[in-house]
Amino acid sequence: MRAIDQHAWTNRWRNWHPAEKLLPAGGLLILTLILPPLTTAPLVLAGMALTTVRGAGVPLRTLLSVLAAPAAFLLAGVPFLAVSVDFTHGFDLHLSDDGLWLALTTTLRALAAMSCLAFLMLTTPLTDWIALLRRVGVPPAVVELILLIYRLIFVFFERALTSHRAQTARLGYSRLDRSVRSLGLLAGNLFQRALVQARRLEIGLLARGYNGELRVLAPKPTLSRTRLATGLGLVGLIGMTGSLLARGLS
Amino acid sequence: MTAPLLAVRGLEYVYPGGVVALRGLDLSIERGRKLAILGSNGSGKTTLLLHLNGTCKPTRGEIRLDGQPVRYEHRALNRWRQRVGLVLQEPDDQLFAATVGQDVSFGPLNLGLSEAETHERVSEALAALRVTVLADRATHALSFGQKKRVAMAGVLAMRPEILVLDEPTAGLDPHGVTHLLGALQQLHEAGTTLVFSTHDVELAYAWADEVAVFHEGTVLRQGKAVSVLSDRKVMEQARLRLPLLLELAVLLLQESDCEDWDRQLPRSREVLLALLRDRLVPGRAGRDEIDSLSDHDRYSGA
Repeated sequence: MRAIDQHAWTNRWRNWHPAEKLLPAGGLLILTLILPPLTTAPLVLAGMALTTVRGAGVPLRTLLSVLAAPAAFLLAGVPFLAVSVDFTHGFDLHLSDDGLWLALTTTLRALAAMSCLAFLMLTTPLTDWIALLRRVGVPPAVVELILLIYRLIFVFFERALTSHRAQTARLGYSRLDRSVRSLGLLAGNLFQRALVQARRLEIGLLARGYNGELRVLAPKPTLSRTRLATGLGLVGLIGMTGSLLARGLS
Repeated sequence: MTAPLLAVRGLEYVYPGGVVALRGLDLSIERGRKLAILGSNGSGKTTLLLHLNGTCKPTRGEIRLDGQPVRYEHRALNRWRQRVGLVLQEPDDQLFAATVGQDVSFGPLNLGLSEAETHERVSEALAALRVTVLADRATHALSFGQKKRVAMAGVLAMRPEILVLDEPTAGLDPHGVTHLLGALQQLHEAGTTLVFSTHDVELAYAWADEVAVFHEGTVLRQGKAVSVLSDRKVMEQARLRLPLLLELAVLLLQESDCEDWDRQLPRSREVLLALLRDRLVPGRAGRDEIDSLSDHDRYSGA
């Protein structure tokens, strides 16, 4: 998670308007969902991977590690899609063409869709999305909640990591039963700390004139028409190629 | 004689569990001073500081701001907190926004300033603490020392008259301390009154004009830094040691035939070393060298 955040803050396209990234990623996501996946999905996957790695300068290794987790889940699901069970003549287990087709298209489609989301995650820090949400009129309470959670995740992650190290140093994870016990203590402790932290943060905010609203100056990046047009062009190109290829195949 | 900027009289505070934190304490903060509140860990310094901006309401006693008793209703509190800025010891208790610039903009926006003014305040505060380069960084990616300075900038952006700092140097390395004190010194010269809590007697000696020794919920003595810090009885009662620099200097100067020896006490190790050299090899380091040193940064991380 920290690696994702790190790249989101430092990639080449960090300062672009989030909409300029949302347009190609969203467009390709929609294409993946509506066009025949066999031809479109690989194109989308390749297009997004190239954009992420070549364009925004995120290392390929990072992109792959982000895609690895959903890919593992997908692969775990493949057998259940490909194999069908037949109870008409007792118990019969066999691979069906329909099942294989379904497994292939689902996997491709899901991976392509994931690559669109990975692109957004790796190129745009959450703060930009928060600012965008604020601008398009999402209620302040919701936006503030997202903001605080984002900030506190890192505070608690840090605390959890330190506590875990301290427990490990005192052999808290040397045996299974001890591990369970230590983990329980860690969770209980984090919960208590969360409450204390909330109270302290309130004191800190009150000292700065907090009156129920967390207002901050948000940067206002400008929209670039060239980038928007390029994004749209990419979506158009992949959409056309994908559907033409699909027509040729059938 | 005008009233002190902030005066605390007979302050008592009992925690909701019945624990007595402050027992009848007097403190006065004069305009333009650097006041160190000196006390050992767990003596209740933080509780005292939380009273100075109205976070805690005293059980008994009174606080006066500019001679006027303070009030605890919403608007009065807001005005009070703008004049008295409080920086907590743990920066994560204060930073909530995702980027440095955004976090610092929180206070000025709460004062009702326009976006343009807020921008100005943010860059001013970041520059004052020498963290301008961090403006667009993610809050969680900062080092501890950076977080500490950004937390201060967040309070500074509200342009308080008094800046109250809870253990400002705790957890910083010597370089970080020098860096921070340099920034604070500039603020002080620009007219900000500084109040800070610490258990570091060397820091209090090198850097404060005034010291209040705090022990078990009361102030044992408040006064000029040198006279309070050399008061062996008070210091021992508060379980503190005399600053090494001060003890050495007293030893060195007491025997000299100078009449006003206690006015020449060195407050930095460089000056003390020059004095020592002068004593060991007379004539090698003349008074000129010693005088030229005393204007330089008075604290170099004892």
